[in-house]
Amino acid sequence: MSAPPLLELICPAGSLPALKAAVDNGADGVYLGLKDNTNARNFAGLNFDDKSLTEGIRYAQTKRRKVLMALNTYPQPATLPRWHKAVDTAASLGVDAIILADPGLMAYARKTHPQLRLHLSVQGSATSYEAVNFYRERFGIQRAVLPRVLSLAQVENVIANTDAEIELFGFGGLCVMVEGRCLLSSYACGDSPNTFGACSPGHAVRWEQTPKGMETRLNGVLIDRYADNEKAGYPTLCKGRFEVQGETYYALEEPTSLNSMEMLPEMARLGVAAIKIEGRQRSPAYVAQVTQVWRAAIDAVKKDRTAFKPQPAWLAALAKVSEGSMNTLGAYYRPWK
Amino acid sequence: MKLSLGPLLYYWSREDTLAFYEQAATWPLDIVYLGETVCSRRHLLRLPDWLELAEKFSAAGKEVVLSSQTLIESESDLKALRKLIANGREDGKRFKVEANEWGAVRLLAEAGREFVAGPTLNTYNPDTLDMLAEMGATRWVPPVEMPRTMIKEMLAALPSASNGAARLETELFGYGRLPLAFSARCFTARHYNLQKDDCQFRCLDHPDGLVLASREGEDFLAINGIQTQSARVMSLAHRFDELDTAGIDVLRLSPQSRQMERIVAIYRALADGDIAPKEAPAQLDRLMPAAPCDGYWLGEAGMAYHPAP
Amino acid sequence: MKLPALPAFIPRDFPQPLARLVAKLPTWPASRSFVIAANLAAWPSLRELDWSQVFGRRFRVHVRDAGLKLYFSLHADGFRAEREGPCDVTFTATTADFARLALRLEDPDTLFFNRRLLIEGDTNLGLTVKNMLDAVELETAAAGMPAGFGRIVLNLRRMATQN
Repeated sequence: MSAPPLLELICPAGSLPALKAAVDNGADGVYLGLKDNTNARNFAGLNFDDKSLTEGIRYAQTKRRKVLMALNTYPQPATLPRWHKAVDTAASLGVDAIILADPGLMAYARKTHPQLRLHLSVQGSATSYEAVNFYRERFGIQRAVLPRVLSLAQVENVIANTDAEIELFGFGGLCVMVEGRCLLSSYACGDSPNTFGACSPGHAVRWEQTPKGMETRLNGVLIDRYADNEKAGYPTLCKGRFEVQGETYYALEEPTSLNSMEMLPEMARLGVAAIKIEGRQRSPAYVAQVTQVWRAAIDAVKKDRTAFKPQPAWLAALAKVSEGSMNTLGAYYRPWK
Repeated sequence: MKLSLGPLLYYWSREDTLAFYEQAATWPLDIVYLGETVCSRRHLLRLPDWLELAEKFSAAGKEVVLSSQTLIESESDLKALRKLIANGREDGKRFKVEANEWGAVRLLAEAGREFVAGPTLNTYNPDTLDMLAEMGATRWVPPVEMPRTMIKEMLAALPSASNGAARLETELFGYGRLPLAFSARCFTARHYNLQKDDCQFRCLDHPDGLVLASREGEDFLAINGIQTQSARVMSLAHRFDELDTAGIDVLRLSPQSRQMERIVAIYRALADGDIAPKEAPAQLDRLMPAAPCDGYWLGEAGMAYHPAP
Repeated sequence: MKLPALPAFIPRDFPQPLARLVAKLPTWPASRSFVIAANLAAWPSLRELDWSQVFGRRFRVHVRDAGLKLYFSLHADGFRAEREGPCDVTFTATTADFARLALRLEDPDTLFFNRRLLIEGDTNLGLTVKNMLDAVELETAAAGMPAGFGRIVLNLRRMATQN
């Protein structure tokens, strides 16, 4: 039996050039999705068709990198065959694993393709080992991606009580809500990540430069207005500015990105199997820049955990591509715990 | 159509909470959900208090269900969950539990217990629903965003429903501010510039949530600790006729701090055919903390509202 | 780690008097010139992808510092210049930033966060174009360009990533 994986670098691929950028810059694996609502980055023009998928798998696997396919939305009764077909496609093209959120779909994958490796998506909202072990016992999932709401101490407790590998988000856009448990988007515009595969889909978003500043609207609701010198964020509701009791501020979360790099030594100590980089909606340029930095950082941690310090140049490069150009440790570090 | 009182989503003082349930015992409800589903820091009522209330409702002839916490983060959350599930009674019987995440499903199935599959399990297709039924679910609550067309499709495609072996009840979130999102962060504490672990229990000051408006003054969401709700109140009273045909067995009314008795009475009258659905909105209007919405039921944006069916 | 900068001859600050002058000129000749260049340099590789969902939609590219507005649309046979008027979607950025995007040196979302790229109008159409352009491999595109031009593009990119 080979040693369990430690800090594999899993990078986003929204297109074939992005996949190649990830592989060429040192990703251990890439994750990707198909051009429909079977995955949670269902944006127009993004993702893979059969041709680019075949080429992407060949490119990555020739270089001994893994391809993980995200099928992490929730199948719905009328269109269930679409998800089944996507699982079949993944199996027949030989992806290394599929990333699922829905138990019904896991049951299908397990029954139809018993050899296919299953990962539990962050969209499955499993925040405790009891939940992770449910999927492990019932469907044999080999890895779980934990929502970005747990502290590292809580992550440690999950790892101590499950056989499943644990994957954590390392960098990128930050859901402040528990993934899979957020319907803010569908409340405003009818489409949610769970069913449609996108939060704030393009058809509902309007940006407009006005005399008061640049306005962002979601299905007509003004969710933010930026002065000329202000950094902007994604048009998601959780990062909008609202008025609460006469005070206008980022009531839920500032436009900011997760960057957990300084916690890498601790993640290594806990035996975290993989680090995921967010951003399938981003360009190949982003993927190249971020993969390069994280490859260097993970290599440094593996070489000498105690001496590890994120280099200023790495942090600057990451800050530059960040939403709102700000970084946070998110929930991993909670000083008051 | 059965009527249920959903779990109390807000944090009220102990006196207010007990007074509310004291009254609720006399309301024409069939089912009552009890327990804290939102925040593990809320402690004015502890499990023994909830169990005492449960016994009272049970004695008053209501079906009682204990609702589990939605976001489980720590070992102490799990400990509380296990206790809630065990909930030993003197007669050896146990109250049914509503599972609001899959860890609870695992524990309940392991213990061989029947349960209610709560709205945050994300049951979006018949395969998952059928599996829940097989594991012991006797009732399910669809995700609050699920439209009527999809609920119909779910029930039509359900294998266990067709063979009649397991009669699975469908319960719809029918009235109240919609629970839309959960976070590890507390937005109420954030509003007061407090850390979550030193929140000073400011939720107590906002018995129906704290409204968040767009910069154009449009009431949009309501924050309730770690939960984000709709500012508008989901109300399906004017569409009561549509519920039966969609296969809804139970309609869930979510507690609000004032006028709940009259809200329940109006829905009871609807269920008994004493008032027509089209008369209901006018009666409800003055009793609601905000404007209504029904978009999710129609497969639109949740905040939409169509007064006339 | 060095971040990609542009080769020095791409203007960072377009001369303001010149920009004011350009803004007053009719847009048609510029749009025509742009479309001729785009059909020659970009279309041969772009046509490999299925663009049918954006056929016939009107685009405006607003080069802010140059005061230049280009109007065009895309059809099965390539780009067509359009008369000035309302558009389905407008992209606004500076000469240098458009150049960075074209050379794959910069990520559009990064420019958006920094308020250096604005997409107005039909956001879905804008995102479709953005994502589809990302799916075109620069090397393939350069190979499809007229003799010498593709090499210039790749050289520009190399210079930028090395300096």
